[in-house]
Amino acid sequence: MDNSMHTLEPVMLPATVLAELEAAVGNGGLIVEPSQLQTYECDGLTAIRTVPSAVVLPLSTAQVQAVVRVCARHEIPFVARGAGTGLSGGAMPARGGIVISFARMTQILNVDLPNQRMTVQPGVINNHLTARVAPFGYFYAPDPSSQSVCTIGGNVAENAGGAHCLKYGFTTTHVLGLEIVLPTGELMRIGAPSCDAPGYDLTGVFVGSEGTLGVATEVTLRIVKKPEAVQVLLAAFDSITGAAQTVSDIIANAILPAAMEIMDRLSIQSAEAAVHPNYPVCDALLLIELDGRSAEVGLQMEQVRQMCRNNGAWEDRLAQTERERMLVWKGRKAAFAAAGRLAPNYIVQDGVIPRTKLPDVLKRIGEMSEAVGLRVTNVFHAGDGNLHPIVLYDASIPGQEQIAVDLSLRILRVCVDLGGSITGEHGVGREKQEFMRYMYAEPDLDTMQRVRHAFDPHNISNPDKLFPRPRLCGEKTGPYTPHPLETAGVAEYF
Amino acid sequence: MTTTSLAPAATHEFAASIVGPEHANLLGLRCSAAPADAQQAAELLRFADEHGLAVGVEGAGSKLGWINTGRTDLRVLTHRMSTMREHTWQDMTCTVEAGCSWQAMQTALAEHGQHVALDPLWPQRATVGGVAAANDSGALRLRYGGLRDLVIGMTLVLADGTIARSGGKVVKNVAGYDLPKLLCGSFGTLALITEITFRLHSIARQTASLTVTAATAGPLGKLLLLLLDSAFSIQSMQLRTDAAGCALDIRVAAQPEVLSNQQDGVASMAESMGLVAQASNAQVWAAREQLFAPFAFVFKATMLPTEIASAVQTIHELGGNAVVQAVGILTGSLPGLSSPHRLAGLRARLEAAGGSLTVLQTPSESDFDRWGTPPGSLPLMRAVKQQFDPHRILNPGRFLGKI
Repeated sequence: MDNSMHTLEPVMLPATVLAELEAAVGNGGLIVEPSQLQTYECDGLTAIRTVPSAVVLPLSTAQVQAVVRVCARHEIPFVARGAGTGLSGGAMPARGGIVISFARMTQILNVDLPNQRMTVQPGVINNHLTARVAPFGYFYAPDPSSQSVCTIGGNVAENAGGAHCLKYGFTTTHVLGLEIVLPTGELMRIGAPSCDAPGYDLTGVFVGSEGTLGVATEVTLRIVKKPEAVQVLLAAFDSITGAAQTVSDIIANAILPAAMEIMDRLSIQSAEAAVHPNYPVCDALLLIELDGRSAEVGLQMEQVRQMCRNNGAWEDRLAQTERERMLVWKGRKAAFAAAGRLAPNYIVQDGVIPRTKLPDVLKRIGEMSEAVGLRVTNVFHAGDGNLHPIVLYDASIPGQEQIAVDLSLRILRVCVDLGGSITGEHGVGREKQEFMRYMYAEPDLDTMQRVRHAFDPHNISNPDKLFPRPRLCGEKTGPYTPHPLETAGVAEYF
Repeated sequence: MTTTSLAPAATHEFAASIVGPEHANLLGLRCSAAPADAQQAAELLRFADEHGLAVGVEGAGSKLGWINTGRTDLRVLTHRMSTMREHTWQDMTCTVEAGCSWQAMQTALAEHGQHVALDPLWPQRATVGGVAAANDSGALRLRYGGLRDLVIGMTLVLADGTIARSGGKVVKNVAGYDLPKLLCGSFGTLALITEITFRLHSIARQTASLTVTAATAGPLGKLLLLLLDSAFSIQSMQLRTDAAGCALDIRVAAQPEVLSNQQDGVASMAESMGLVAQASNAQVWAAREQLFAPFAFVFKATMLPTEIASAVQTIHELGGNAVVQAVGILTGSLPGLSSPHRLAGLRARLEAAGGSLTVLQTPSESDFDRWGTPPGSLPLMRAVKQQFDPHRILNPGRFLGKI
């Protein structure tokens, strides 16, 4: 095991409690074997790990409720887990706590095409939603990079985004209602299949609450009509300024692309090496997807290409076939994993800035990177100012990991200083909880805590996440460390 | 519910000391005060909280009838907080104080060809804060979503005088709970909203509206569902009924070069069902405002799109009028002499299918329940209220479930 890792060993639960948990989920639904528990010790934030005291795999809402009731009775912390692809430690268990895995609640319960809705269990994989309705000309819009494995329950907890959120909105835009089990064990429906249910918008506050307000057991989602035409353009620039100006020009001309992404030279190279998307090699690659009615998309794409040329693009290449378009996106979505080809270790960050500050922030990242002698590669959702700087380093060089962590966190400070946010889609989790103090004042955080107390008076639903807390001695955050399962080739990092 | 033994004159004296004598009034037992900023509002609420005063927050007062009547010891008026704080048009966001009129905000934003893509009632009068607190929206919702999709940040004053900020000034932000969503539609029962940050959209450069009429709602409902399932660039769509019959209004927004092509496509779809599409009357998109006649009984109903036609037909047969957005949000009216209990069947039908029917305006006292069957989540809503306003000073007893 990597010495740099911070792992807390499991705390044993009393046999009587384990018996209650087993009664709740039935034979085969409870995991207590230490070697099996280790699988659940972290999510995509692999640097901090806590082995849970037990893992339950419920098959139904009733079983989830029974489990949470046991937890409430004994004040045992719990965390819900989908595929564990989150990047901020949201699905990492609390010490002495249990994991509620949704690996066995994977049914699509209802598809209502005329009303453009579907109701699913939380363990359904994001991609499977679209697969189910694609034959009828529909899709589920939020598309996090991990969409081939991440689950809708995790998407709801983190308010997952993705490249196409620029046009179609985030997970919260698409969740109409939820069945939830409150941390007290009560079962409740919030929201409704129709819009504007009377009363407070509890669904709105639950989505993105990172598992701290309870557990979703059913999700009613909006699905979207597939556009008639889709075109993807790759534009190569010699400077980030030209690419960023093009993004502003497109928006200013009342064109709303489905997605606009920028990759820098390093990320282009690593993506090329990983999945061969045939990107032009340049300092800034702008990837623009337009969708809609065929005639309109064609018209707008001509305007966009002209804007690219006006801002110095030396190549503007249209993906000609569906296969080419898929390859373009595969390259972009592989960007994080491909960073492993550039350095032994890396930290992915998730800051947001007002879009027009992009050249400023990249200049400052470049200066900070140069000052500490570490490379930073950048991919970002340019349309909405969501940056994913990837700090590259070698943990085997003494002291370098800490320099990398400090650099990644200083980048977040720059984002906040420029009027942005510490996270656009990865969540706060354990990774950035201390940074909440940098972004929000105490009264702001206290007000959020009021919501938490209303839902979870005993603080057992994914405790010690999202809100700042005193840092434990020796605890660190951020750096990516391969999980043993990944090293063994059993799992992948997204 | 809280009670106070404080004399109204004492409330007035304190309010005047905070906001200035020219901005505090005493009328009978009710005091009103217009704070200049969040700090002054916080002083007022803290005082009210300490003395058990029932507080009502008012913008233009255009939607006061949308919640229960109740005691108000102190009216906090937002009209002095009416500044457009920031319009970062390059980033397509704006921050505006709650007392700004909706139209004043939109006029300022339009200088750069942008708007908050929402068309609420009475934009000339309604304030930004009032629209948010009442969660009003119009036909643009089909394309751009509701307030929950457009508000990205808020400044709030809680009952105990805490000033809190939530969200931010960037569209993409998942740091912490999304409190603005909780506040939209909370009718001033959780906190006073003093400032809102919106995401903006470009104003569509070219639009065209078509209207299809029919004697009954059924065929129009079918056309509505077909259009929802189509790839046309439809910006707004609403099904209306009045004494003359039923109509479906469709507004298409597209590049000028392809707009007529889209119009033709929509018209062809109508023709294929034996219906005729014609250019719309300019007033159709303001039809919702006509429902609020002085003596009309006005209500809001929510439903799935597949329920729209039957709900409209029911209202038509009751002699009422209605405008329903294609997303399934209906505003309806019955003539003043009609008993609202005639809507009981429709309410039951809608609730059974996950919808609702709530009262917005009553011409006279009525025992028809304003909110309908309480949702199962009411205890959780009460718990949220308890955390935000433990002494129940903000619009006490006036919201769903007497929150």
